[in-house]
Amino acid sequence: MVGNFLRSSALAIVLASGTAGGAFAADPSLDLVAPLAEYKIYVAENTAKLVEDTKAFTDAVKAGDVEKAKSLFAPTRTSYEKIEPIAELFSDLDVSMDARADDYEKAEEDPAFTGFHRIEYGLWEKNSTEGLAEYADRLMSDVTTLNQRITDLTFPPEVVVGGAAVLMEEVAATKISGEEDRYSRTDLWDFDANFAGAQKIYELLRPLIAENEAEFVTKVDGNFKDVADVLGKYRTPEGGFVSYEELSDADRNVLSTKVNTLAEDLSTLRGKLGLG
Amino acid sequence: MKIAMIAAAALAVAGLGTFYAATRQNQQATQGQTSDRTVSISATACEPNEITVPGGRRSFEIVNNSDRPIEWEILNGVLVVAERENIAPGFRVTLAAQLQPGEYQMTCGLLSNPRGTLTVTASDEAAAEASEVTLRKFLGPLSEYRVYLILQGKAALTAAEALQGAIASGNLDEARAAWIAARLPYRRIEPLAYRISDIENNIDPRAAYLEGREADPAFIGYHRIEYGLFDQNSLDGLAPVADRLVADLTLLQDRLKAMPLDPALLASLPGDMATQIAEGQIPQGENAYARNDLYELEASLDGIGKLTDLLRGVLAPVDPALEQEIGKDLDDLRAQLAGLKGPEGYPPYDQVSDAQKTALTEGLTRLSAALGRMQPLIGMN
Repeated sequence: MVGNFLRSSALAIVLASGTAGGAFAADPSLDLVAPLAEYKIYVAENTAKLVEDTKAFTDAVKAGDVEKAKSLFAPTRTSYEKIEPIAELFSDLDVSMDARADDYEKAEEDPAFTGFHRIEYGLWEKNSTEGLAEYADRLMSDVTTLNQRITDLTFPPEVVVGGAAVLMEEVAATKISGEEDRYSRTDLWDFDANFAGAQKIYELLRPLIAENEAEFVTKVDGNFKDVADVLGKYRTPEGGFVSYEELSDADRNVLSTKVNTLAEDLSTLRGKLGLG
Repeated sequence: MKIAMIAAAALAVAGLGTFYAATRQNQQATQGQTSDRTVSISATACEPNEITVPGGRRSFEIVNNSDRPIEWEILNGVLVVAERENIAPGFRVTLAAQLQPGEYQMTCGLLSNPRGTLTVTASDEAAAEASEVTLRKFLGPLSEYRVYLILQGKAALTAAEALQGAIASGNLDEARAAWIAARLPYRRIEPLAYRISDIENNIDPRAAYLEGREADPAFIGYHRIEYGLFDQNSLDGLAPVADRLVADLTLLQDRLKAMPLDPALLASLPGDMATQIAEGQIPQGENAYARNDLYELEASLDGIGKLTDLLRGVLAPVDPALEQEIGKDLDDLRAQLAGLKGPEGYPPYDQVSDAQKTALTEGLTRLSAALGRMQPLIGMN
């Protein structure tokens, strides 16, 4: 925790000095329009997929098929984890769908604890679908609402451009500890989707800065590649990931370092693109 | 090396503190600066739990007095306006946000804790920020319109392919239904599509404008197919026309994607389309053979409405009265059109009375005039 705090202090100074050095664009450019539109289409494709996958997942839960539900849990979540950079645009649904037990006073027993992780708790800790039908219905209703809302929503540019760093910070601060999927240990699936989602934003914006920020893009490209290489070691032949418990301490440290650096670097994107 | 760089940066910060205070740093950490308000988070609540600040750029010092890491957010409905994550127990951080007048909520530690209230009052600073029209405020609307063009352009192509398939399969009724459906996405993007005149002349020419009328070799596209399906009651010769339409719509999609959008263009599109429909399509009718004009008018209003709604977001803080007026003009038009719809749907256009047509023209002209008054107000220097 202290480490994180110090990191964000240093980050603030780096950001401020960037402003003084005149490295930041004064005004945003119309060149942002195409990548912002492209990103919204990416999100819309993912929420459409989420609706489809969540239907199969919640159907399995409601049919009492524990094994099938378990097998669909992680792959269903990936399309949600990919769009997490902009979760602050639908904070109510994010809480309802993806909050952890320790966000609540009574933890797992708290009646407000719902969503993916409540179902995960039942499937893995209790090895049962008993009592999960209401959570399944609510999750299905939430993803349907989300999909509709995305269609109607104009994305604020600063949320999109800033979103990559916000998500990397969250991974660095909390997810890396393995808190997200604590019952199923499917955290690596989420990491992979989180990196893909943050990298999507970066890749769309990259052409706007590549020429003037050659050093920066080389560094960020390298860090995304290093993360992909580490995660690649833990892929299964079926296209998924092994349990988070199998992640070696050395690799966890690499991931932790890289994600912290990515968070810091990506947090300068807004300034570089005149959206500071 | 890194330490030296940070130290140098820190010195620069110290020397230029006042400069930074004036620099725009949305939602970034600003340690060491004086904040407007301090909020302490205990295990169960924010202290104070109700805060009032004047609108503008405000900073908050958040003190975590609980025994677990917390995040602190300012919420506007479901939207997070500003947040700091992972504030460690015992630590304090500063958060700055640009706030417009209104009622906001603050999260206070655990999700099960009651939320605090943040009231932002009107101020000269907030009013100045809101009424300033910048390129930045157009980025969201421009991107959203681009998404609309891409998605509706794709839908137009898919629907034309369905029409092509129905014609190829030799089923006249199916082809008629497919033609009516195929026009709708095209009409939604027509405000921009019609400006790409070379493609427009191949997609949407009308016989009335061609020397040889229906027999003119340049009579191709949607209306040539319409003529075959609804006037000649035949599929003869339509297959190559449908193939060409699909090819032209593919081209249109690429051209729309390559078209640079800017604020002035966006602001001109809905009013121009409304004028064109009011002056040309309503009095004369557009679909001489199928007579499904009112269905298409509904799709045109979707397209005009999408643009208008995006622009209203920019206009609202500049001229709220005009923004309301435009909204009302659009609602009135939609209500007027809905009034023409019976249990069987819309009547054929030759059964629409002159008085009804005049009323539609007036509604569209009123909207167009209001949009015309909007343009200079949100034009940027």
